[in-house]
Amino acid sequence: MQLSVEQNIRLLINDIYRYRNFVVAAFVVVSLATMVVGMMWPKSYTSSTSVFVEQKSIIQPLMQGAAAVNTDVKDQATIAREIIFTRKVMNQVLDLAGWTKNKPSEIEKEKIADRIKDNTTVRTVSANLIKIEYKDKDPERAFVTAKAFADLLLKEASGSQTTDSREAFEFIDKQVREYHEKLVRAEQQLKEFHSRNVDARPGTQGEVSKRLDGLQGRIEEARLALKEAEIRRKSLEQQLAGEAEVTVSITREGQYQTRIAELQAKRDALRLTYHDTYPDIVRINYQIEELKAAILEERRKREEVKEAARNEGRVYVDEGVRLNPLYQQLRQELSQTKTQIATLKTRLYESKKLLDEELERARRIHGGEAILAELTRDYEVNRDIYQDLLRRRESARVSMNIDREQRGLNMRIQEPAALPLRPSGLRFVHFLVGGLILGLIVPMGALYGISVVDPRVRMPSVIHEGAKIPVLAVVPHMATPIEMKLVFRNIMTLGIVLLATIGTIVTVAALKISGVI
Amino acid sequence: MSKIEDALRKARASGALTTASHAQRTNLQLVPTGKVDTELAHELEVSQSRAIARMREPRPLTKEELAENRLISRDMADGRVANAFREARTKLLQRSGGKNRIIMVTPVSQGSGGSFVAMNLAVSFSFDESKTGLLVDCNIDDSAYRKLIRQESHLGLMDYLEREDVSMEQIIHPVGIPRLRIIPAGKRREVPAEYFTSIKMRELMYNVRQRYHDRFIIVDAPPVFENADTQILCELCDDILLVVPYGKVTVSKINAAVDAIGKEKIAGVIFNNEPRVPKLRKSKRVTSS
Repeated sequence: MQLSVEQNIRLLINDIYRYRNFVVAAFVVVSLATMVVGMMWPKSYTSSTSVFVEQKSIIQPLMQGAAAVNTDVKDQATIAREIIFTRKVMNQVLDLAGWTKNKPSEIEKEKIADRIKDNTTVRTVSANLIKIEYKDKDPERAFVTAKAFADLLLKEASGSQTTDSREAFEFIDKQVREYHEKLVRAEQQLKEFHSRNVDARPGTQGEVSKRLDGLQGRIEEARLALKEAEIRRKSLEQQLAGEAEVTVSITREGQYQTRIAELQAKRDALRLTYHDTYPDIVRINYQIEELKAAILEERRKREEVKEAARNEGRVYVDEGVRLNPLYQQLRQELSQTKTQIATLKTRLYESKKLLDEELERARRIHGGEAILAELTRDYEVNRDIYQDLLRRRESARVSMNIDREQRGLNMRIQEPAALPLRPSGLRFVHFLVGGLILGLIVPMGALYGISVVDPRVRMPSVIHEGAKIPVLAVVPHMATPIEMKLVFRNIMTLGIVLLATIGTIVTVAALKISGVI
Repeated sequence: MSKIEDALRKARASGALTTASHAQRTNLQLVPTGKVDTELAHELEVSQSRAIARMREPRPLTKEELAENRLISRDMADGRVANAFREARTKLLQRSGGKNRIIMVTPVSQGSGGSFVAMNLAVSFSFDESKTGLLVDCNIDDSAYRKLIRQESHLGLMDYLEREDVSMEQIIHPVGIPRLRIIPAGKRREVPAEYFTSIKMRELMYNVRQRYHDRFIIVDAPPVFENADTQILCELCDDILLVVPYGKVTVSKINAAVDAIGKEKIAGVIFNNEPRVPKLRKSKRVTSS
């Protein structure tokens, strides 16, 4: 059930009265405990210094885009932190602030440095101001450390900035040279490759395949023609085998034989009518005998000539023999075919050789193209980077020049560190006041918390709303006179305790402030 | 009459009569019909019981005695308690519609201060000079009124219900507060419930109510849950007041009590024992309502 604020306050007041012993006890304990804590609380002193970072430079708009000018103050706080927390600066700070008087070991130094880092805050106050704060138990040391931080920051920042830009320039310059070398090497390689592979141009691929096709066509053609010629040669040879080399011609002997035959025919015709003694028949016989003798004579003569020719080593040409014209013609054709076969064979061989060469070339072109692509790529990449680096080098050169002439980021100490006279952070007074407030809040909060959690009825309105019956009267507690006496005595005691507590706190505070404790 | 004489003798012997003479005077003046001193003898004759009661009226309690017994008075230092009871009384009177009623006071739980509320409510009725209060103590186990009745052995409700020879007049006792009488619980009985259901109890209630129309009867009943008597007593009463202690019971318990009694008769709740910062300076006299 939601109670109104007024009801809550009334409840709280009733509860405070009801549990007055607890409330007072809690107040006393809490406030005194806080005071004791406040007395024990270590004092700390903060010394701070501001560094002004001159951001607006007349050269900046002029250099817009051309040079990388380091003037971002937001980064400056981070940069400042980075700079002052470096080992180099830290060691100097340790020496200056007197941490190293007792000759601490490296580990101890590290621990001290870490503690200093924890107690140091570097932040950007406004657009141009960096504030360095250092907190320490010793005001003197706080002051020295803060001052050392600011001084060293300025020193390091001005030094590091010029070196930064110079280093950047040098680095880029080195890179430029390196890439230049690479580029030259790539160009050289490309040139060498071109000279080695003249035909390795883009597009030769097509030509080569066209030629290969042509050559293959020719080889096929030649092969077919060769087969044809072979077949012709075979058939010609067969024909030649069936044909006589020479034809028998009419010789003298033959003429004689023919004459004899004629005479014999005549004589046979005469015998039909006449006797053998008939003069014509006798003449014819005679004539036949003569002719026969002539044949023999002829044969003998021929043999003689033959013999003589053989002995003399001469070719004997028989006059009576004549060459066969068809045979002659066939022979001629055969010889022609043979020639053709030889020619075709040669051509086939040549074509094959050409094809092989062409294939070899094609293979070479393929490899060459891949190499060429690689070389070209290398070259292009190198060229791009080189060009970019050239531009950067020029920017870096300008940055370096700006820094050299102190036209970039300027720093100066705006507010020097001062010796802190009053401790910072929670002071004793805070603890006193806080303790008193806490002493009030804690018991009341506890009571309120309990009243929120406690489901038991403490307000008449709750009965009215929860049980729907009217509340006729709210009867306060009625104390007997003895009880009243006790209550008053109790209240008096509590009052005295309260006054004593507050008195103690005030006394301690007065002593503390006046410096007695 | 012998009884009256007997009582008078007794009173004289104890010396109460002489000390209480002033109280008797005021008492007489407060009788609704406006009787005066000189009419005392006549009054004694007319009304026996009243005469007895009057004669037995002990010395009125002083302010200190009242305070010690946690009883309200008209001119008490802190008038807030008295005012609370007067407020309750006024509301009950509005409810009564001009008739006298039997009002039962029962606490939700033990230690709620039921008897305190019942007693003080009765006292608040007696504040009004036209009314009288009668407190019937039914808290047999835990009677709170022994101290008030300054008699070593007195008869109470149980004696009346149990014994035939005890009359109604014998159990009604004055306590030193004008216009207030008490019927104490009497001797403790093992099983009191049976007596509350008896016709005699009913008769008693009827009689005390019927005899004087200006008499309001307050029944101090035991806690609702801890005793079966309470629910029996409910039937005999007209109004029921539930006493809810501060910070001791939950709403659900109150609801359970309401369910146990029945909502019709419940006149309301007295929210008791609220802790309040005591007033340091003396308050003015409680103003008459």
